[in-house]
Amino acid sequence: MKKASFPAIVSTAIVCFIFWLLITGQVASLLRGEPSVQVLIAGAIVSAAAALFSARFFIHESPFYLCNPVRFLKLIAYCFGAFVVELTKANVDVARRALSPSLPVKPGIVKVPVGLKSEYAQAMLADSITLTPGTITVDTVEEDGKDYYYIHWIDVASEDPEEAGEAIKGTLEKWVRRIWE
Amino acid sequence: MIIAIYVLIGISIFFAFAGVVGMLRMPDAFCRMQSSTNISTFGVLGVIIGGILYSAVFLHNAEMAVKLAVMGIFYIVTSPIAGHAIAKGAYHHGVKMTRKSVCDKYGEDMEK
Repeated sequence: MKKASFPAIVSTAIVCFIFWLLITGQVASLLRGEPSVQVLIAGAIVSAAAALFSARFFIHESPFYLCNPVRFLKLIAYCFGAFVVELTKANVDVARRALSPSLPVKPGIVKVPVGLKSEYAQAMLADSITLTPGTITVDTVEEDGKDYYYIHWIDVASEDPEEAGEAIKGTLEKWVRRIWE
Repeated sequence: MIIAIYVLIGISIFFAFAGVVGMLRMPDAFCRMQSSTNISTFGVLGVIIGGILYSAVFLHNAEMAVKLAVMGIFYIVTSPIAGHAIAKGAYHHGVKMTRKSVCDKYGEDMEK
């Protein structure tokens, strides 16, 4: 396991601290200008300690990549726009399959090529695919410099890697590439 | 406003119902997991968004709304990772796919 660099630890600690503020309900009192100093100090210590141990699992490259406002807005647009559309389509489709009397499923594991290089982008695409009902990423593999996902698909329309990839990834890959590359 | 909240929670109950029916009817473990994703996306998100609206508009409790939003974020970020780990673990443990399966590229490539 690679050792974490100092910026990686800092960025992990900042994210931990933001979640500490949200969960302990300090945001409102910070806005009023009367924060509880004890809670803030405890949060800073805890998030620094957590980051020290966990940063090497999360951050391997460019720790402050999302601090760019354009990229962050693209991420928000993806989460609440493009992804919600795909999620709705897939949810309705799988619910229809589960409730229809003949149970029209055609399951199988297909191999799908991925054209993303960054680690974060690959993780995000794999998670997006798993989160849409009807497809689960089982494993990822690298062959001859190209990355592939093995995806369990509830309705195998095509066994050909390119066509299956087109059907599963849809617009997701384009959006993820726009955010991370 | 209250009607929008009822609609959101109703949608979410419908998808949770569809997910449970799917989990009982699907032929094998992997297909059951596909159906359970229905519950873990729309089944949970509808209730959480409805809860955020209710606590913000009717209870005037911003803290509760923020905590619900954080719950939703954590849920969405962690559930696909768990799903992926369960599917991979089940496959390597030897859980068989149903005979209706049309292809298994993963098994073919592992034998090579």
